Amino acid sequence: MDEDDLLKGEKVEKILSPHPLSFMRYQSLSLFLIIWGIVAGWLIIFSEWNNLFSENEWYPILVWGLVLLLAGVIASILTIRWSIFFLYLGIFAGGIALMLSQGWLDASGLFIPFYTVSISIIGFLIVEAYRRSHKYYISNQRITFKGGIITKQERTLRYDKITDINAKQGIIGQIFGFGTIIPISQSGFGLGSDKSFAGGGVQLGEKKVKLLGLFGGGKEVQTPRARSYYELHGVYPYKEIKKLVEEMVQGNVITPYQQEQVAFQKEQVDIQKQMRDLLKMQSESKTDKKDQGENSEE
Amino acid sequence: MEASSIDIIVFAPLAPILGVLLFWFIQLVFIESEKYLLSKIRSKHEPFVRFTNFLGILFQTICHALGYTVTKSGISNFYIGVDYGKVAPKKEKKGIFEWISNVFLFIGPFFIPAFLLLICLYFLMTSGFEIVTPSQVLDLKYTFGGQITIFGASLYTFTTGFFNFLVNIDLLHPAHFGFLLLMIFLGMGIRPSYIAMEKMEKVDMLYDLKNIRNLIINRPLYLIILFTIAYIFFYVSFWLEQNWYIAFFVILGWLSIISLLSIFIADMIILLIKTTDDIPGGWKIFTYATLPFSYIITRVIFFYIPTDFTKPVSIMILILSTTIVTYILVKRKSNKFKTKRDIKLLKKKSKGEKNG
Repeated sequence: MDEDDLLKGEKVEKILSPHPLSFMRYQSLSLFLIIWGIVAGWLIIFSEWNNLFSENEWYPILVWGLVLLLAGVIASILTIRWSIFFLYLGIFAGGIALMLSQGWLDASGLFIPFYTVSISIIGFLIVEAYRRSHKYYISNQRITFKGGIITKQERTLRYDKITDINAKQGIIGQIFGFGTIIPISQSGFGLGSDKSFAGGGVQLGEKKVKLLGLFGGGKEVQTPRARSYYELHGVYPYKEIKKLVEEMVQGNVITPYQQEQVAFQKEQVDIQKQMRDLLKMQSESKTDKKDQGENSEE
Repeated sequence: MEASSIDIIVFAPLAPILGVLLFWFIQLVFIESEKYLLSKIRSKHEPFVRFTNFLGILFQTICHALGYTVTKSGISNFYIGVDYGKVAPKKEKKGIFEWISNVFLFIGPFFIPAFLLLICLYFLMTSGFEIVTPSQVLDLKYTFGGQITIFGASLYTFTTGFFNFLVNIDLLHPAHFGFLLLMIFLGMGIRPSYIAMEKMEKVDMLYDLKNIRNLIINRPLYLIILFTIAYIFFYVSFWLEQNWYIAFFVILGWLSIISLLSIFIADMIILLIKTTDDIPGGWKIFTYATLPFSYIITRVIFFYIPTDFTKPVSIMILILSTTIVTYILVKRKSNKFKTKRDIKLLKKKSKGEKNG
């Protein structure tokens, strides 16, 4: 944060970045590619089943792609994100395209592990660049979230606008001491929703006469959720940061007692103002009377 | 030689039980060594110790949950963290059911992780799963001596097969490598107590033993029932001339051996971490880099110059080169392994540097 970005009297308490393992969700996709790349290479070249793969040049590609897509489907179902499946599909399609264009089909045993591991390394680098693009500034007045590799994003949140703090720590976070803190603003920023839907259909009757019925239902649950640019994602040391944020929020929130005190002080100021006006009026009337007396004497 | 009836009726069933107890006690001692080593590295490797705590708690919680499932108590709440795990039953069952679920909680972690490894070993090991039959021990058969001989012989066969597998393990084979990783993880997790920041009562072996003693003292009747079941099981096996009774305890013995070896390998890794802590700066990377590089280089050499015993020699080179590199680094880069003469020379050198 530059000096120019700081407000009057603002002091930065902490500058934070997400922990290197806090994006394990994305890193695990690359990790799987590395493992599967090595295992596929071993299966095709060194294992006792390598004869099976040498029968047809498409066999290794099919096995490699099938496992890749199956993993994509499982990961997509578990995380409810079809982007993972399409990512793996893209990797598979890219691999085939490269092999066909370069005429490397007969060397698929060597190409598959190298290609898969190379893609996973690129994946790791992208995740790392994404992680490094995050910066969180905790000052005595506000929290500033900055980030973005190409498009720069920024969110500023004043402590007095924070209504709730949601904090979560996964198993890896508990082991390495990092966690995510989501400050929820009065406008509801920091809240997401989980939707579930169930549907069913019935078909009755045979041959010409048919009766079709459809029924369904849905449910929506509000849950603290934000993009990593708008939350303190995977910050380390978690407990210390959580305490700091909570103290800052506490310091900026007016308690009912303080509210009473402010109202009382306001009342006092009003009374004093009224008294001042009265005194002013009295002194003015006195001087008027004096002037009148002096004029009459003359 | 005629076997006495007292021997068969009273003492013979005790033989495998005593054998398992002995192995279980050795396991406790090994676990204690692991706990000691972990507590020594805690200050410098907090995440690593937290990870081992998590593994320990994971197994303990799973065993507890298994106890509630077996006793049909159901599970209403299940939580696993780095600091503690929690399993709450749906129905609070008392008496024997509560006792059985506690047995699962206290004794399960010693055997259940090893059972997972045993399943993997079944697919990887070529020999060692043979259980000696009573007819193979001639006249001894169902006597105390016969039973202990069968128990010992079966464990020996398994141990030989297991060692043979470990010595010939192919670290470039995904299944073998995965098994070794699993073995290390389970070795770190076969540890029912928690390693805390400060020394706690819970950390020692006596705490575990105290729990088990209380379990026995508070409900002696249940123990008697268990022994009665064991005796009946033995008599049935004896009557049908089968080795079912001994086979059950032999499997428990196998699990103990797997646990012991897993803990030993985990101990070696923790010891390596502890030793490399004495090496300053980035030099310790050389120790850890030696592990894969020495193995891969050796295997590549043997790929072009094929010889017998490729895998055991590669494993040996891995262990030796890592030990030598660590020793050299510790000797050169730290004050450890320095003789009085070396220290004097070092002092002289530093004095000379100061004066000059």
